[in-house]
Amino acid sequence: MIERFNDRNVVTGIIQLGLILLIITIGGFAYRASGRPKDGTAPPEPVMAGAVAGAASGAMVALFVIVVTLLAEAGYVARDMFESVTPALLDILTFQQNPWVGSAIMIVMAAGVGGLAGYAHRLPAEGRKLTFLGLGTLLIVGLAAPIVDVMVKGLGLPSGWLFRREGLTVAGALLVLVVTVALRWYLDRQGGFRRAAAKLPGITDSNIKKVGLTAAAVVVLALPWLVNSFISEVLGTVGLYILLGLGLNIVVGYAGLLDLGYVAFYAVGAYVTAVTTSLVGYLVTDDPLRPAQNGWTSFWLALPITVVIAFLIGVLIGAPVLRLRGDYLAIVTLGFGEIIRTLVLSDWLKPYFGGPQGVTDVPAPPPASFEFRQPQRLYYLILAFALLALFVSSRLKDSRIGRAWAAMREDEDIAEGMGVSVIKYKTLAFAIGAAVGCLGGAFFAAKLSVANPGSFTLLVSINVLAVVVLGGMGSIPGVVVGSLVLVGLPELLREFGEYRLHIYGAILVLIMLYRPAGLIPDKRRARELAEAKELKETSGVAAS
Amino acid sequence: MSALLELRGVSKRFGGVQAVRAVDFHADLGEIVGVIGPNGAGKTTLFNIVTGFYTPDEGVMTFDGQNIAGFKPNALTRLGMARTFQSVRLFNAMSVLENCMVGQHTRTTAGVWGALTRNGHTKAEEETITRKAQDALAFFGDRLLPRQNDLASDLAYADRRRLEIARAMSTEAKLLLLDEPAAGMNPVEKEGLIRQIGRLRDERGFAIVLIEHDMPVIKSVSDRVVALDHGEKIAEGTYGEVASNRQVIEAYLGKAAAQGAGG
Repeated sequence: MIERFNDRNVVTGIIQLGLILLIITIGGFAYRASGRPKDGTAPPEPVMAGAVAGAASGAMVALFVIVVTLLAEAGYVARDMFESVTPALLDILTFQQNPWVGSAIMIVMAAGVGGLAGYAHRLPAEGRKLTFLGLGTLLIVGLAAPIVDVMVKGLGLPSGWLFRREGLTVAGALLVLVVTVALRWYLDRQGGFRRAAAKLPGITDSNIKKVGLTAAAVVVLALPWLVNSFISEVLGTVGLYILLGLGLNIVVGYAGLLDLGYVAFYAVGAYVTAVTTSLVGYLVTDDPLRPAQNGWTSFWLALPITVVIAFLIGVLIGAPVLRLRGDYLAIVTLGFGEIIRTLVLSDWLKPYFGGPQGVTDVPAPPPASFEFRQPQRLYYLILAFALLALFVSSRLKDSRIGRAWAAMREDEDIAEGMGVSVIKYKTLAFAIGAAVGCLGGAFFAAKLSVANPGSFTLLVSINVLAVVVLGGMGSIPGVVVGSLVLVGLPELLREFGEYRLHIYGAILVLIMLYRPAGLIPDKRRARELAEAKELKETSGVAAS
Repeated sequence: MSALLELRGVSKRFGGVQAVRAVDFHADLGEIVGVIGPNGAGKTTLFNIVTGFYTPDEGVMTFDGQNIAGFKPNALTRLGMARTFQSVRLFNAMSVLENCMVGQHTRTTAGVWGALTRNGHTKAEEETITRKAQDALAFFGDRLLPRQNDLASDLAYADRRRLEIARAMSTEAKLLLLDEPAAGMNPVEKEGLIRQIGRLRDERGFAIVLIEHDMPVIKSVSDRVVALDHGEKIAEGTYGEVASNRQVIEAYLGKAAAQGAGG
C-alpha cells in the first residue's frame, strides 16, 4: 500500500504520499503521547516525550525491516505470506540504504518527527491551529494537484511553476502554505469570513448573502469549462447522487424513515425512461428480435411519465410497508430493493426489461444535434434538475407538510396524537422521495444509454444513505457536500486502485468521529444529537 | 348539560392484567373532571383508550354524539379531543411556536402543491396558524410567547408542561385531557396552574378531564371527581364525597388505616 502511494507525488521530488502517511502515523502517536495526560498527572516535557514516542514508533518499523531481512537471509521470503512486502516497500522504508543504515535513519527521522509533534504542544493554540491547517491544506492541494492543475490551465494561467508530474513544485508548496496560513490569520484577526467580506468595497451586511450566492452560481456554471471532460463526467455522477440524496433525504432526513432499499426507485427511474425511449422499441413492436428503430416517446416526455410512475410505486410499496417502524421498516425496504432488482433480472419480465442484459439503445435527450451526452452538457442538464429538486426539498421543509414530518420523526405517537395522519404522511414522504430519486435513474439511463440490473445493487442504497447521513440528516447543503465528498472523492482516488476504498473507509470513519451530526448538520438534527448526549451525561435524571 | 364524552362498560386487558374493567365515565361541556387513584389504577390507560392510542376490548364510547370506537388518535384530534402526557413529550428539536403550529395540523389543508407554490391560500393559512399558535402561547402570559423561537428542549421544566397544554389548546379541541399537569411543579407554579385550568374552561370554553395525584389541585379545580382502583371505578362525586369514601381511603392507605380512621 505504501509502495503504491509512493508513486504519487505531493511535492514533486521532495515528498510522496507513502512517506507522508508514515509521518502522519508516527507524528500522530507522538502528539498524543506527549500531550497532557487525562488522569491529571503532571504533563511530560513535550519535545522529549514526543521524540521518545516517535523513536519508539520508528523502531517498530525498523524492527519489521530487520526481521524481514533476517528471514530472507535465512531463506524465508516474507512475501510468500504477506504479498505486500515487496522489495520496493523495503526500499522505501530503508531510504534505499542497506537495512541497518536504513533502520537507523528511520529511527532518527521518527524521533525528529515525534519531537516536532511534541513541540506542537508548546505552540500557542493559534499557532498550532495555523500549522495544522497549513499542512493539511498542503496535503489536500498536493493530492488534488492534477485537478487543480487542469483548472489553473483552464483559466488560461501558466501552471508549470506550480505543478509538476502530478504534484506541487517546491514553489507551489510554499505558495499554498503561505497563502493558507496568511488568509486564515487575516480572517481570524478580522473576526471571521463574514466580517472580513463585509469590509470589501460594495459589500454590505444586507447584500452579502446575494453576493455569495452569485459567486457560487458563477463557479458552478463555469466549472465544466475549467476542468477536463473526465472531471465533468465525475461532476455529472455527483449530480446524480445529489438527486438521489435529496430524494432519500426527504424519506430519512425529514420523515425519519430508514429506507435501505432506495435503489428501487433509482432502478424504476432508469427502467421506465429506458423502456419508453429505447430505440429497440419495447412498447412499439411485439417482437424484440426485430427492433423498431424508434422509441415509443422522447426523453422529455418520458421524464414526467417516469416521475408519475415512481410516485405511484412509492405509494404502492409505501402503504403496506410503512406500518412498520424503525429496524423492521429498514429490513422490509431492504427486501423491496432486492425485489425490484430481481424482477427486472427475471426471465418472466425479460421481454420487457431485457433480463440480465437490460434495456439497451436508450437515446440521449433530443434534439440529437445538441449532443446532450457530452459530459459538459449533461452536467448542465443534471444541474438544472438538481436545482429543481433543491427547490422542492426546501419548500416542502418549511411547510405544513415539513412540520408534520418533523413532528413524526421526533415522536410518532405524539404526532399522531396532535392530529397528523402518520400513515398518510409517511406514504407521502416515501412517494415524493421516490419521485425525486427516479430523476437520478432517468438521467443515468440517458447518460449510459442502457439500464441494466447490475447498476442497481444494494451498494447504491448504502452509498446514497451514506451521503445523507454524512452530509447531515435533513440538511440540503449537507446532501450536496456529502455527494461531493463521498461520490466525487472516490472517483478522483481511482489512481490508487484497490486501496482507494481504504481511504474512502478512513474518511467515513473520521467524519463520523469528528462530525457525528454530519458535515453540514441541519439545525434541528444537531440539536437532537446534542440533547441525546446531555441525556446520557445526566444519566437518568432527565429520563425519569 | 349534555355529555361531550361518554364511556359505557369500557374494558381493557393486557395479557393477564385487567387494566380497565367495565368503566362508565362521562365528561360534559363546561365541566372539569378530576380522575384520581393510586399508581397502577388504570388512569393513564383510560386516557390512552379515550384518545385512541389503545383500542378497548369491550364497551361503547361516544364523543359529541358520535361513536368513536376504533378511531385513530389523529381522527379524534380532528373531532376535538387533545391531550398532554404524563412524561412531558414535546417535539424537542422544534421551536416553541412550531410545536403549537403542529397542533393546528387538522384545522388546515395546505398540501404539496401549496407548499411548492406558496400561493395565496397557503400564505394566508400559514399566517392564521402562526397567529393562533401565538394566541395559545399568550395564554400563559410571558412564560412562553417571548420564547416562541427557542427550541422546546431549552425551556424550563414547568414551561415545558405549559407548552404541552398550549400545544393541546392549538388543536382547537373541545375537550382537553391533561395527564398529571402539576407533576414536578413547585407550590407557586401549582397555584398558577390551578388558576389557568379554571381559565381554560371559563375563558376558552374547554371541557377538561385531568389525572392528578396532587389532591389540593384536584380539590381546587374539579367540578366532579372520579376515583379508580385496580381498573375499576370505585367512587364518583364531588371532591368531598369522594375523599371521604371508605373504598377510596382503603385504596390509598390500606384497609387497616381506613378502619383506624373510623371510615
